[in-house]
Amino acid sequence: MQYLANPARFLQIANAVLPWVWAAAALTFVVGLYGALAAAPADYQQGETVRIIFVHVPAAWMALFVYTVMAGASVMAIVFRHPLADVAAKAAAPIGAAFCFLALATGSLWGKPMWGAWWVWDARLTSMFVLLLLYLGYMAIWQAIEEPHRAAQIARIVALVGFVNVPIVKFSVDWWNSLHQPASVFRLGGPTIHISILWPLLVMGLAYTLLFLALHLVAMRSEIASRKIRQLRIARIGDR
Amino acid sequence: MDLAAPHTGFVAAAYGISALVLAGLAAVILLRDRKLRAEAEALGRQRLKDAP
Repeated sequence: MQYLANPARFLQIANAVLPWVWAAAALTFVVGLYGALAAAPADYQQGETVRIIFVHVPAAWMALFVYTVMAGASVMAIVFRHPLADVAAKAAAPIGAAFCFLALATGSLWGKPMWGAWWVWDARLTSMFVLLLLYLGYMAIWQAIEEPHRAAQIARIVALVGFVNVPIVKFSVDWWNSLHQPASVFRLGGPTIHISILWPLLVMGLAYTLLFLALHLVAMRSEIASRKIRQLRIARIGDR
Repeated sequence: MDLAAPHTGFVAAAYGISALVLAGLAAVILLRDRKLRAEAEALGRQRLKDAP
């Protein structure tokens, strides 16, 4: 990790791997969408509505994963003072917020025909909504505080305190009586989903992960450029 | 996929909103990246030019 502490070295590596990551993401999306819309059978109870899970579940996984990345980066910033840790956390937040919004929106589109309601104040849904608020709050801190070091200090605390919500989202279906179905992929005893539905789900999960990786690298590159602009402007004022 | 099956509108809406949000997010991130990198490069060149 310290090897990547130099922004110039990070940019060199990011620029080299980005075309490959974009290509891998595109390819996995093609395979995943084929599996989701053509190869996977309709569910015997849910019918065609089951196809919503191929966009809903990966979005929910990514919403949790990206927040974990932000919390991990915040730890790196506090403990190791890694120069790119705050950049990584800040760049990840809007992407995670988009995934979280998609998990809620597509879940709602699944809930209406299956549960008869767009929304219920269920433990899983509510904790996921709290996660979206945490993302928005984290992003608001960076926007509201002009001084970057002060903003970074407060943002790190919000990322770490908010991380408490991640296991709550994950285990909410086990801890409380929930309308939402329990874990069916990442659970002790293995997945409970039939392989014909599981493989497109896992491929879509990989596609979402690769898309996040590509977008995150680009967003980090932008953030490094933004900081360089700030430094150059300050230097210009100093020169006058 | 059976397009005549019930609730296909919900399926189409879920895929539509996912495509829209992800494509929009990618566009915003890529356009911001292009703008900021060009600005940083221009400022860097200007600074070199202004250097005594």
